[in-house]
Amino acid sequence: MKPPVFFLLILLLSLTGCAAQPPSLPELTHEAGEERGCAAVFPQGRWEFVHTIEFSMADGSGATVLGVTSLGGDEIACALMTVEGFTLFEAVDRGKEGLEVRRAVPPFDKLAFAAGLMEDVRTIFRTPSSATVQYGRAGGTIPICRYIGVEGRITDILPVMDGCWQIRTYGADRALSRSVSGSSCRKEGESLIPEHLELKGFGPTNYTLKMTLIHAENLKGKALP
Amino acid sequence: MKRLLLLVALSLFVAAPAAQAQPGQLRSVQADFIQEKHLKILARPIISTGSFTFQAPQSLRWEYRTPIRSILLMHGGKMRKFVERDGGLAEDKGMRLDAMQVVLAEISNWLDGRFTDNAMFTVSFPKKQTVLLTPKEPGLAALISSIELKLGDQAGLLDKVIIFEGPGASTSLTFSNRLLNQEIPAAVFTKQ
Repeated sequence: MKPPVFFLLILLLSLTGCAAQPPSLPELTHEAGEERGCAAVFPQGRWEFVHTIEFSMADGSGATVLGVTSLGGDEIACALMTVEGFTLFEAVDRGKEGLEVRRAVPPFDKLAFAAGLMEDVRTIFRTPSSATVQYGRAGGTIPICRYIGVEGRITDILPVMDGCWQIRTYGADRALSRSVSGSSCRKEGESLIPEHLELKGFGPTNYTLKMTLIHAENLKGKALP
Repeated sequence: MKRLLLLVALSLFVAAPAAQAQPGQLRSVQADFIQEKHLKILARPIISTGSFTFQAPQSLRWEYRTPIRSILLMHGGKMRKFVERDGGLAEDKGMRLDAMQVVLAEISNWLDGRFTDNAMFTVSFPKKQTVLLTPKEPGLAALISSIELKLGDQAGLLDKVIIFEGPGASTSLTFSNRLLNQEIPAAVFTKQ
């Protein structure tokens, strides 16, 4: 019997393979204007989040873990643990200084897992790094902030979707690679914090992370440990 | 991943020796617990609450109520785990059971009051009312550096367990409302 968490590793390791065609990048009707609330999607300053994370694969397999995300400056720290409190993975991404993996229990000790996990975390919590930002609407109605990275990756921020927000990332081939849907948002200072998040990864093995917020705290002025 | 189960099992067998002051007398143990998870990156610990019921020789219900409900059941030589999922309790069928069987053998030693070295742990008594378990196997030691048991003032009752994973990472379990040798209905060891 394989441990359920193993499926997450398999899934993350195989993101770069081939898969069924995910949705493509929608055409944007450009509009001049401000960023229209997209900045509120990403928490600013020092934050700590604790979520329950239900992950599942297309075949229905999956498991539930607890996840910790700490944001501070350019740094992101994250940890995964079992419901019983056993730490499976803990790492700190120090930006230009690189990724420090503090603990990684097999099979979470593969670099590809760490990279995939941190990419999920950055997608949810960090403003995309981009060369240009465009503002407009998709389908004539949905406001979008489109971040276009130098490497061709595109991130669409939909700041007003179903009472919260959505994020969609596309690869250089313009195929959808990740989508994040927030729901039951509440305003915390300048940030919109969702009670629930659903991240879908598109690729060779589609996967879903359903995250429910246990705790969110703005730790003003405190450096990331 | 065997270690994940091992951790749960550790929680079991450190709870079980609550009655070891009367070797051979233990029939059941029930208690509530508060679990604190400490990590270097956490500004404050994650608090979980739950309860457990153990009945000799090898029946267990280990249940978390918050922040997420989960139930580990061992009964009749079988082990099942259920975790809250999509609003209900879904069975976690990915668990390995072989590690638990090994650990259960250790549990029986504890139930007999044998706080002595064994294949898995070196046992020491650094202070009165404190038992320190240090893993012998390097693979296990890489995951759990030590386990500290704080025995209560009342003979045999356990107050607290601290599982040290490494620098800045630990899990503590503080027990309360402990009951010994109550009659336990078999239904307790089923999903309910």
